Parts: sequence; structure tokens; C-alpha cells
Amino acid sequence: MKDIKLKDRIVEGINDLFYIWKREFRATFRDQGVLIFFILVPLAYPLLYSFIYNNEVVREVPAVVVDQSNSSMSRDYLRKVDATPDIKIIGNCSDMEEAKLMLREREAYGIIYIPSDFSSNIAKGEQTQVSIYCDMSGLLYYKAMLLANTAVSLEMNKDIKIARAGNTTDRQDEITAYPIEYEDIAMYNPTNGFAAFLIPAVLILIIQQTLLLGIGLSAGTARENNRFKDLVPINRHYNGTLRIVLGKGLSYFMIYTFISAYVLCVVPRLFSLNQIGQPGPLILFIVPYLAACIFFAMTASIAIRNRETCMLIFVFTSVPLLFISGISWPGSSIPDFWKYVSYIFPSTFGINGFVRINNMGATLDEISFEYKALWLQAGFYFLTTCWVYRWQILTSRKHVIKKYKELKSMREDRQGD
Amino acid sequence: MVSRPLYLFCMIIAPLFCYIFFTTLMDSGLPENLPAGIVDMDETSTSRSIARNLDAFSQTGITAHYSNITDARKAVQRGEIYGFFYIPKGTSSQAQSQRQPKVSFYTNHSYLIAGSLLFRDMKMMGELASGAVTRKVLYAKGATERQAMAYLQPIVIDTHPLNNPWLNYSVYLCNTLVPGVLMLLIFMMTVYSIGVEIKDRTAREWLQLSNHSIYIALAGKLLPHTAVFFIMGIFYNVYLYGFLHFPCNSGILPMILATLCLVLASQCCGVLMIGTLPTLRLGLSFASLWGVISFSISGFSFPVMGMHPILQALSNLFPLRHYFLIYVDQALNGYSMAYSWPNYMALLIFMMLPFFVVHRLKEALIYYKYIP
Repeated sequence: MKDIKLKDRIVEGINDLFYIWKREFRATFRDQGVLIFFILVPLAYPLLYSFIYNNEVVREVPAVVVDQSNSSMSRDYLRKVDATPDIKIIGNCSDMEEAKLMLREREAYGIIYIPSDFSSNIAKGEQTQVSIYCDMSGLLYYKAMLLANTAVSLEMNKDIKIARAGNTTDRQDEITAYPIEYEDIAMYNPTNGFAAFLIPAVLILIIQQTLLLGIGLSAGTARENNRFKDLVPINRHYNGTLRIVLGKGLSYFMIYTFISAYVLCVVPRLFSLNQIGQPGPLILFIVPYLAACIFFAMTASIAIRNRETCMLIFVFTSVPLLFISGISWPGSSIPDFWKYVSYIFPSTFGINGFVRINNMGATLDEISFEYKALWLQAGFYFLTTCWVYRWQILTSRKHVIKKYKELKSMREDRQGD
Repeated sequence: MVSRPLYLFCMIIAPLFCYIFFTTLMDSGLPENLPAGIVDMDETSTSRSIARNLDAFSQTGITAHYSNITDARKAVQRGEIYGFFYIPKGTSSQAQSQRQPKVSFYTNHSYLIAGSLLFRDMKMMGELASGAVTRKVLYAKGATERQAMAYLQPIVIDTHPLNNPWLNYSVYLCNTLVPGVLMLLIFMMTVYSIGVEIKDRTAREWLQLSNHSIYIALAGKLLPHTAVFFIMGIFYNVYLYGFLHFPCNSGILPMILATLCLVLASQCCGVLMIGTLPTLRLGLSFASLWGVISFSISGFSFPVMGMHPILQALSNLFPLRHYFLIYVDQALNGYSMAYSWPNYMALLIFMMLPFFVVHRLKEALIYYKYIP
């Protein structure tokens, strides 16, 4: 007897689950607001961001020169700096004051100062200094100035050393310049590009944020349409926690499998960003990420009372979330407190895992920490979602019963009259 | 306004949280002791001294030794280290016998800041390792240190990062991130507070209270916001320049003026947004889009000059871009305000924007029906 009852309950539960799934799916596609977050934002934002950072690096940063030496050697130096892709020399100033004026008028972002004893010192076999001054409004200007000048000075140092050594063969020259040679290998982002580094993180973050916004919006709508401002509607299909949570979750999951495929595979290809990940690990990794995000968003949506408040609450968090993930500000330098705070959000693990799979070709072995953490989060937020929904079902029932009793007593009063 | 916790959250708690968050997150200014590895297959005193010297650089911290490149590469992929220095077998013996060995270093530029900082240290180490060999020879030949250095590095680069000599990332980012968050929240609150009147069908009542003058209605609604946001603005100025001692070469008053301009310009942008799209949801979407894009397009992390020309022109339509340029001129570089007049003008123009939409907005307030 009891057996059949349980079986019936399961069948009923599954039927209700698909009923809720279908209803949520339909509601999503009928609600323009949710569609904006689920479809339009994930489609358009990645394109916009990639477009902003598409040039990857800053080239030809304008710089001015104060050449006090005015010798063939200093001119050679400046010609070589100008020839680097990083710096473009836009003018020659007679003194530092004039050069600083150029900086002030935003004509140039750096000054290269060559002292008057530049070539005479070299000729005498003494050390000489080239001073560079950089506008620090952007670190990339500084980087460009430093890289170009270092490269040129090292190249000229090599030639000077060779000239002084008076060797007889080319091989001897090479050894004089560099008794130990060195080679730098830029891994996983050989051009040092900005897009290659930032966009993958933004893509993952977009998935989490749009889910938060979309689910929050539909939760707010559900409450506004409800007689008692409750999240769970009064409907005979909605009387089990699991079927509501799984039904809704499944419908979001289905939509986001397509969105993720577009955001994480098509967008990087469109802008030819790094993409060396294996499809297998990527798919296995995205499943817990989506699950964690969906249940996280469903739990968070409990705080949303009105349709539009989710935007006020969630949009600004994107900026701190990007920074806390450790992609731009190195994770090893994040204070412990914020590191533990970051473990609350699926995006932290999502960003780190995705960047390593997609940019660095890692397999699940290498990202096992992030992978496990995401499954843990998915499980944890699933439980919290069930808990908050259970609570919502109970409050909604309480409201119905209260209303029923009110109506009943009103009717009795009337009958009594 | 005070009655709803939402207002309290968006106008006070959220900005305060972000002030504290960004400044404590980047508390160290310039990341130090970034974890790096070493693959030492040479195992001589020379190679050990390379590892030791590398560890002594302030940005690099050698956290692990690996027996081969594959292990080190996997550690990079696991995110344990940001790069590693590779010294192959026989390096020191080859160097002594003048056979020019080759060391190499690998830095992960997928983490751009960490990768670049390690690259700088490791490149320096490469130069030093090479120089150490030559220096030994020179000392043996009886050269003084001065002579040796002049031989090793005839030209040295002396860098002067103006007004941020510590290369402090917190100075570089927080000065724009913090006002940026405030601006984003101003956009949203302005749009919300007007849009919600349309939604709750209280807009007519609101207009009646202000004698059917849209100007009085807007002023009455938004001036209290201005006051709160301006106080929050003064607060971050005092916090950044007074408490954290970020460079403020112009004195704090020009920055407070710039903040006031930013607050007013952002509010007026908010009015423009809800005026053009008088549906609460679309207005807020507009505000979110504009607000979030501001962070990228204002060019404080990736310079505007590196963007597509269309975006360079578009960047002028974002109040944060102008605030950023004013900050650079005034607080960072200490130039006179005259140099940033185009940006002050731009912020003033933003303040004129509501005049273009007030009539449309008034119509919307009277006739619009809330569309969910």
C-alpha cells in the first residue's frame, strides 16, 4: 500500500516538474524583461567588450625628447626607440620645461631625456644615464616607455661591449655580449594582450550576472502577480519543493546551455582570442558552473520583492566580482578575508577554471580545486534553494489558510445575521 | 526615500562597501612576492645564487623547485605559480668554458599584472646572470667596480614614473573605480526613483504636489539625492586623499568640485535615460549598460588611444571619462584647472541634458501606463 503511494508521488512529482519546467520556459520567452537578460545581454555585451579591448595593446605611445647630447649616438638611440612598436617620438624639445608642457597639454605621455655627456661618457668608457619620465595616468604608457627604452639600451650596450672587446670572430662577439644567454617565453598570451587576458573572465562573469538578473526579475514578477506577494503561486502543481526547484532550474539550464556555447565558444572565435581548451574538460567544467550559478541566483532571488529591484542590487556587484576573482589583481596578493568572501560566488571558481582551460589548456586534473568547489557550491546552493522555497511554500500556504479562514468567518458572520 | 531599505542600500551601504572593498583589496599597492618556481637542473653554486637573487626581488617569491619543465608547466596551469626560471644542466660549466649556455624564463601573461611584474624581475635576473660572469672576469683582470659596471652597462635607464613613483596599483585604479561605482549607482537611483512613480501610478500625484511643474517636481525629488550622493562623494575624497594619502597635488578642493560635477552630471544623465525610455525596466537597462561600460571606456585601465576610433569618439559621452581626465590633471599631476577646461565643460553639458527630455518625461508621467 505504502509502496504504491510512494511510486504515485514520484510519478506525480515528475509530471509536476515538467509542468513547472514548461511553464517557466514559456514565462521566460513571454517576458521581455527576462529575455533582455537571458538573450540580449549575453549576445551583445561580449561583442561590445571584445570590441573595446580588441586592439589588445597600445602601440605608438606619443613621447617627446630632450636631447642635450645631440650626437650621432644619441640620435641613433632615439631613432631606435622611435622604431619600436611601442613608442612614437612626436617632437624634440629644447628643455624639460617645454617637454613637461607637452605632457600637460596631453600631446605626449612620456619624456626621454638624454644628458649632454651621453656620448662623451660612452667614449670615455664610463656609464651614462638616459632618464625617462612617464605620465602615470595609465600603466600601459609606463610599460610602453620602459619596454622600448630598455630594449634599445640593451641592444646598444651589446654593440658597445663588442666594439670595446676587440674580438676577432662573430662567435667571440656573441659570447662577449652575453656569456650566458637568456630567452623569455610569454606563456598563454604571447602578445601580452589586454583582451586575451580580460575577456575570458568577463565572459564567465556575464553568465553569472545575467542569471542573477534574469532569475531575480522573474522572481520579482512572480511576487508582484501573486495575491499575497509570495514567490510560489497557488497552484496544485506547486506543492513540492523538489519539483519547483528542479523544474525551474532545468528550464534555466536548458536556455543557458545554448547561451554558454555562444558566449564561451563563438565569441572568442569571432575576435580570435586564445582558445586552446579541450572540448571535453570545458563541457564537464561548465555543467557545475551553470548549476552553481542557477541555484545561487535562485537563492538570492528570495530577496527580490519587486520586478526591477534586482538590477539596482546586482548590477554594481559585477565590478567588485571581477576584481575579487584574482584575474587582474593577482590572487596571491588578495587579503585572506576577501579570498574567503570570494568563495561565496561561483564566478570566482568559474573564472579561474575557465581561464585555465581556455587560455592555458589545462585539464580537469589541473583545476580540480575549482572543479570540486563548483560541485560543492552547486550542492550547497541547491540545498539553500530548496530550503528557501520550502519556506516560501509554507508562507504561501499560511497566507491561503489565513485568507480562507477570514472568508469563512465573514460568511459565518453573514449567515449569522 | 528613507522609508525604503532599497534606497539606504543603494545610496549608502553599496558605495561604502565598494570604497572599503577596493582599497583594502589592493592594500599592498604593488603586488609583492608573486609565487614563482625554479627548475634548476644545473645544481651548482651559480644556479643556486640565481634562485636566491631572484627571490630577493620584491615582486618575485620563489615558492617551489621543480625537477623538470613539465612539472613546472603543470604548476602554472594549476595556478600555483605565475612563472618559472629554467636553468638547464651544465649552465655554469659552459659559462666558464665560454660556450654560451642559455637560461630561459616562462611567465604566464594570462594573468597580465602578475605576468608582467614577474617578467620584469626575471629579465633583470637574466641580465644580471650574464653580467655576473663577465664581472668575475673583469675583477680578475683588476678592474674596479665602477669600471666593471661601465663596461657591463654603458647605458642605464633611469625611470621616473611621475607622481606615482611606487607604481601603486591602488592609486592607479581606485581613483576611478570608486567614483565609477558611485556614478553607476546615481544613474540607477535617479532612473528608479522617477520610473517607480510611473510604475506605481503615483506620478500624477507627484506632479500635483509640485504645481504641475516638472522642474519643481524633479528638483524636489532629486535634490535630496544630490545631497546624499555629494556627501558620499566628499567622503571618498577625504578617505582617499586625507586618510590613505593618495597623491593629491592640486589640493582636495578641485577634486571635491569635480565630484560635485560628476554627481550632478550623472543625475542629469539619469533623467535623460528615464526621459528617453520612460519604462522603468528599459530605463534601468539603459542605466546599467551606460554605467558598466563606463568602467571600460573611460580608459583608466586600457587607454582610450588604443581603442577603435569610433570608441574614442564615443568615450566622450560618458561622464566618468571626463572625471578621470580631470582627476589625472588635478589630483595626480597637480596641473592648474585651466588645463582641464574641456572636461569641466563636458560635465556642464551633461547637466543641460534634462532640458531636452523634460517635456517627453512630463507626458510620460501623465499618460504612460506601466508595461511590465
